[in-house]
Amino acid sequence: MQTLQLKNVNKTFGNLKVLEDISLNVKKGEFAAIVGPSGCGKSTALRMFAGLETPSEGEVLANGKLVTEPDSNRVMIFQEHALYPWRTIEDNVRLGLELTNSPKNERRERVNRVLEKVGLDGFQTYYPHQLSGGMKQRASIARALVMDPEVLLLDEPYGALDAITRLTMQNELIKLWHGSNQTMLLITHDIDEALYLADRVFVMSSRPGKVVSEVQNEIPRPRDRNSVDFVKLRQEIMKSLDIN
Amino acid sequence: MKIDENVKSKEGLSAPFQPFGKTIPYIAAVGSLLFIWQIVAWILPEFLMPDVSQGLKRFIDNFSDPDFLNGLQSSLYRLAWGYPIACLLGAVLGLLGGVSKTFSVYLKSVVSILQSIPPITWVPFFVVLIGFGNLPIIFVITIASFFPMALSVLNATEGVNRTHLELARVMGANTRQLITKVYGPETLPAFVTGAQVAFGNAWRSLIAAEMVGGASAGLGWSISYAGEIADMEGVLASIVTIGTIAIILDHVVLNGIKRKLLKWRYTGGDEK
Ligand SMILES: Nc1ncnc2c1ncn2[C@@H]1O[C@H](COP(=O)(O)OP(=O)(O)OP(=O)(O)O)[C@@H](O)[C@H]1O
Ligand SMILES: [Mg+2]
Repeated sequence: MQTLQLKNVNKTFGNLKVLEDISLNVKKGEFAAIVGPSGCGKSTALRMFAGLETPSEGEVLANGKLVTEPDSNRVMIFQEHALYPWRTIEDNVRLGLELTNSPKNERRERVNRVLEKVGLDGFQTYYPHQLSGGMKQRASIARALVMDPEVLLLDEPYGALDAITRLTMQNELIKLWHGSNQTMLLITHDIDEALYLADRVFVMSSRPGKVVSEVQNEIPRPRDRNSVDFVKLRQEIMKSLDIN
Repeated sequence: MKIDENVKSKEGLSAPFQPFGKTIPYIAAVGSLLFIWQIVAWILPEFLMPDVSQGLKRFIDNFSDPDFLNGLQSSLYRLAWGYPIACLLGAVLGLLGGVSKTFSVYLKSVVSILQSIPPITWVPFFVVLIGFGNLPIIFVITIASFFPMALSVLNATEGVNRTHLELARVMGANTRQLITKVYGPETLPAFVTGAQVAFGNAWRSLIAAEMVGGASAGLGWSISYAGEIADMEGVLASIVTIGTIAIILDHVVLNGIKRKLLKWRYTGGDEK
């Protein structure tokens, strides 16, 4: 399993300074989250770990090695599920196995196993447009999980879902992660979501983004969103975000 | 984990294969055209405007006339060369344009120039260059029909969803896989619509080129010959033939292929 690290990273797009001297550290097997205002460079930071962006200055490291290109061991889950509309659910989930040329005879078995894990057994032959929003997002998580990646990078995976589905999906995500040893890095707008899920929350400032505080969350799971500790951490984060 | 959301119905909604889409309005459209014909036939003398029944009888009788069948065969032969060449050429140029910005500008300029010249004006050009026969007509068909394909494929390639590409890259796709797993399937609908528009152009320019004297056999030649000898019945029967063949090829053959290739669009519920 992998560690994730940003070391004094700067990123500019043209004249726009997006990230400024940002450093952060995610441990192996840890569930970490990044919260911050819109446009502060959260997605940009995540995309660097995925190998989709390169820093203008500084270093992006996975397991101590420089990240220079995408690697099927670090899979990103996009905000818009990004399922391929021309593929059925099982074919969508199989994508990564095809791309990495995994043994053909194992593919069906592996696909069915993860579909069962995310609760989509029986929907193998459906097309994405035949599923609800929550189910699409489950399918996109299944598509990442089938690779058995060491790192999952989640960019506001539940941003487009309604509040109730969101809460259900958060519980499902915790179950999937629990005991998997996977390193998780989740981006969210939702402070409660970050605190409910993550062991460590990085709070970013508005653009140019840097980490303004790092909150260690040791509340035992399952977490109660109204417990004293939870409320205290929420206030701490809100204070570092200047919200009152 | 339980699935509590409503699953959009999979069975029951999938649309049956209807080559004519909405059948009743279609029949009404054909009926009203025949009706106008009949009214005019009642008003005008018979040698100027034969009855619908006479025209249709000639249309059917034509299919046992070896001269007519010969002409039909020549037309379809030219189409069978010109149209696929145009589709292939359009697809290749469109893909290149989708990948290279410079080539895209170049291609769009070529297309806008060619579009402003009616395709049949190339007939004399090619006849002088290579003589009468099939070849000038095939060239005209190709010129007239490659650009809808090229533009359609070009736009689709430029518009391939960025997230779809990034997702494949994150999962470890190399360039070849990006083409076969993302670009290919994502632009396929554009190939199909491009091919359909191209077919309309190919068919119209085929008939027109035959009419203005690119050849001495074919559907277009038959109709212009019937016109010269004032055989109105023959003219009308040819018009019916030309329309019928185009409808069969477009609505039945091409739409059938489209449904096969784009199965996902027609599964469960409305067309996507
Ligand atoms: N490829 C790019 N070219 C130019 N500017 C970019 C590019 N990608 C991102 N940006 C800019 O960088 C800034 C940060 O973008 P980013 O997507 O990382 O924000 P974010 O924190 O994820 O915001 P949100 O919460 O709204 O998703 C934005 O101002 C955006 O316009
Ligand atoms: Mg973002």
